[in-house]
Amino acid sequence: MLLMSARMLRERWRLFAGAVLSVALGVALVQSSLMTMASTADSKVPPGVSGRAAEEIREGYAGAATLLGMTVMLAGFLAVFIVGSTFTFTVAQRRRDLALFRMLGGSRPQLVRLLLGEALLLGLIGTGLGIALGVPGTWAQSWMLVALGMLPDGFSPSWTNGILPVSAGLGLGVTLAGVLVASLRAARVRPLEALRETGGAARAMTVTRWLVGLCFLVPAVVLIPVGRTSDVLGAMLVAMAVSIWGSVALSQLSPLIVPLVGRLLGVALRAGTLGGLAEANLRDGVRRSASTAAPLIVLVSLVIGLTGTLSSLARATGMDVERVTAGDLVVASTGANAARIAAVPGVATASPQVSVDISVTVTHHAEGRQGRRTHHLGIVTVDGPAYERTHRPAPRAGSFDRLHGRTLAVGSGLAAEGIRVGSRATAKIGGTRRTLRIVASVAPTLENGSESFLIPRELVPASLTAGAPAETVVQVAPGTSAGAVADRIRAAGIGTVRTVPQWAGDRVAEQQRGNDGIMMVLMGLGGLYAAVAVINAVVIAGAERRAEFATARVSGLSRAQVVRTALAEAWAVTTIGLLLGGLVAAAALAGFATGPGPNILVVPWGLLALLVTGSYLVTGLASMWTTASATRTAPVLLIAARE
Amino acid sequence: MTSTLSGADDRRPALTSADPHGGPVPLVPRARPEPVANAVDLVEATRRHGAPETAVRALDGVTISFPAGSWTAVMGPSGSGKSTLLHCAAGLDRLTSGRVLLAGQEITGAPDAVLTALRRRTIGFVFQSFNLIGSLTAEQNVALPLRLAGRRPSPEAVREVLTSVGLGERMRHRPREMSGGQQQRVAIARAMVTRPAVLFADEPTGALDSASARMVLTLLRGMVDAAGQSIVMVTHDPAVAAGADAVVFLSDGRVVDRLLRPSAREVADRLARLEG
Repeated sequence: MLLMSARMLRERWRLFAGAVLSVALGVALVQSSLMTMASTADSKVPPGVSGRAAEEIREGYAGAATLLGMTVMLAGFLAVFIVGSTFTFTVAQRRRDLALFRMLGGSRPQLVRLLLGEALLLGLIGTGLGIALGVPGTWAQSWMLVALGMLPDGFSPSWTNGILPVSAGLGLGVTLAGVLVASLRAARVRPLEALRETGGAARAMTVTRWLVGLCFLVPAVVLIPVGRTSDVLGAMLVAMAVSIWGSVALSQLSPLIVPLVGRLLGVALRAGTLGGLAEANLRDGVRRSASTAAPLIVLVSLVIGLTGTLSSLARATGMDVERVTAGDLVVASTGANAARIAAVPGVATASPQVSVDISVTVTHHAEGRQGRRTHHLGIVTVDGPAYERTHRPAPRAGSFDRLHGRTLAVGSGLAAEGIRVGSRATAKIGGTRRTLRIVASVAPTLENGSESFLIPRELVPASLTAGAPAETVVQVAPGTSAGAVADRIRAAGIGTVRTVPQWAGDRVAEQQRGNDGIMMVLMGLGGLYAAVAVINAVVIAGAERRAEFATARVSGLSRAQVVRTALAEAWAVTTIGLLLGGLVAAAALAGFATGPGPNILVVPWGLLALLVTGSYLVTGLASMWTTASATRTAPVLLIAARE
Repeated sequence: MTSTLSGADDRRPALTSADPHGGPVPLVPRARPEPVANAVDLVEATRRHGAPETAVRALDGVTISFPAGSWTAVMGPSGSGKSTLLHCAAGLDRLTSGRVLLAGQEITGAPDAVLTALRRRTIGFVFQSFNLIGSLTAEQNVALPLRLAGRRPSPEAVREVLTSVGLGERMRHRPREMSGGQQQRVAIARAMVTRPAVLFADEPTGALDSASARMVLTLLRGMVDAAGQSIVMVTHDPAVAAGADAVVFLSDGRVVDRLLRPSAREVADRLARLEG
């Protein structure tokens, strides 16, 4: 049976090239991510670095591990999805062969074994390729993580043999799982179908498709209104769930929806004879159309849905930062220069925050556990009363009035960490150890990585703050123009001056940079996968349509006309896939535009344009290439001699 | 209807037939199948297509027996139900009511496993569109039914069968490297190799030129005469039907006539009357 599988594969490698490629890509990605992850877990913070640098490195490792974990999950999801859909499609395309196999006395278990044998061979080839590809993949990935600043320079991934069984298991597992459903479906092919010329008018909407489609569609639809009434974080969770569930639902239900939308598009296509033929083909080849549209639906809804979610979250964070900052200008300077701002004419209040290199050890109470931890990052000195005047929400607990002497306040960055007001903290300031009392805790904001502790400035000697980076929030005196004050500060050579909205935007953008890198990697990956799946579907469909194209040509179409008709069909399907994917993304992002708060929706138009152009380009080229190569033989030969 | 083959005198070819490329081709000596009276029996066989109200009766209460060791041709105008009859008799399609017995065994409503076993041992098929597996060579195509049945065919046996259809030299060729006639002979060899009790043929010469068609008919005749093979064949060509031992005529899903050892002209006349 395995020999037979091998022969079938060799004969129809075109059908399977895409499946092998997606297995290989999945294995390579998972393996390189796991290798890099294992290396980061093994990596020790180099001895001799400061506590602050060590904390930065550890945060980088944690960020890298999160990114790699997401990559592993996405690669796994896409590999299962694409390998599964490729196999389902190849089985559908080979109904006649499989029916013949049954007619010659092949039993159902034999048929399943034949297809599983095929999958095993494909899985082995794909896994082998993937393991080999994973080696440069690991280098590329760690290079990228270093470039993004998540891993320290000079990080080099080590080879872990223990991961190879995972790669092999994943490659074979994904392939066998992907083909199992398809082979059980194939086992239901009736022998009589071998005699049907057209290869069986099989129902494209199977029970499995209905079940899976509805199981994902119903919760997605139910969630959409929830996103409109919840806060930003709720809307974000809803948006992510809706984009993922919605994409799975619509891709499963695509044999139902694609022809419906095709009917609408048909009005435009039907204008010309060739367009009419393309439209008829589109509706007739439901399975083929659905197979091309499904990966596009997934791609657009995931990429636009998730990117839109993150961008909207960034805008909300920016607005949040703006909201809590009660000031006209923000000045970036050194600690020494910051002290001069209050003396500039027209400045009513100046609230400097100087980032200092000290450490604070506190007790965390989180989820019933408690423990002491030392923090190095995000510790700033403030002037308590000025800070209170320039920051809007009152502290969640305690008061900034008491922020002087041996005290400190918990910043919004650690607001959720269960550090109790009234407890004691140990600060190490320039070599001296001091015990401080926690007197206030700032309310949490959407911001990620904001201040961890606020320390009264009189506690830190000027030698530590003079050269440290400072940000000063400035309120101008009533009746004074903010612009004039800004000019005076600039003229005095104190530092860079920005308005509060400008500063908030830049600050969030800076924090987003890591996120953007993550998204770029994940989306690039998703796009690559979707491209493989789309090319797969177009190539498989085109290769199997030789006879149909030949018939079209003996009916009087020129070769160019056949190519154009197929192109029109491919582009119509692309349009449908993009529209449906856009629908899912729009539903996912609706909560940001119409939620209870202000409109924070950011639509990634640039990315959308890129996706649309890329999709038309990929489907167009794939279609033209396959149609051209399928029509190379003189049509009469194809019509007369069939195997 | 014009016949593509010469008429009655062609009906009884010699047991050994001439290969177009040369010498005589001995047919494989075969054990006679189990002595049952009839290869296939249909009793009150009815097959309806579509919803009960608008149903079309493709077969309408047909009772007919195909005797073992003989060759019966089924004829009739388009839509008369001849393909449905063949499919139901072979267990490929299910009757709406009535019974089917294959080599004495009741197959009405038989589960898939039983039908699969029958396809391995009791039934062989030859079709108009040769239905070979494109990725396998002639030799592998012939050996496939035996392999599927879990038997390991000896290369000699496969070679012998292919030689008997005049393709001993083309064993390692793939279907696309062969002419239509050669592909059909591979399909016949594939049907011969399992020594089935009944061979079902659906327009076996439909896609062939007249020389290839004559060769295929000669092979089938040889199987009946030398090995006692039972054949049920659907055709629309009177000259092809005239090669059979008996011709059954169908119209609107009913058996309307039967001729024993007719000439091509007699068949054509009868068919013309049915269609007219």
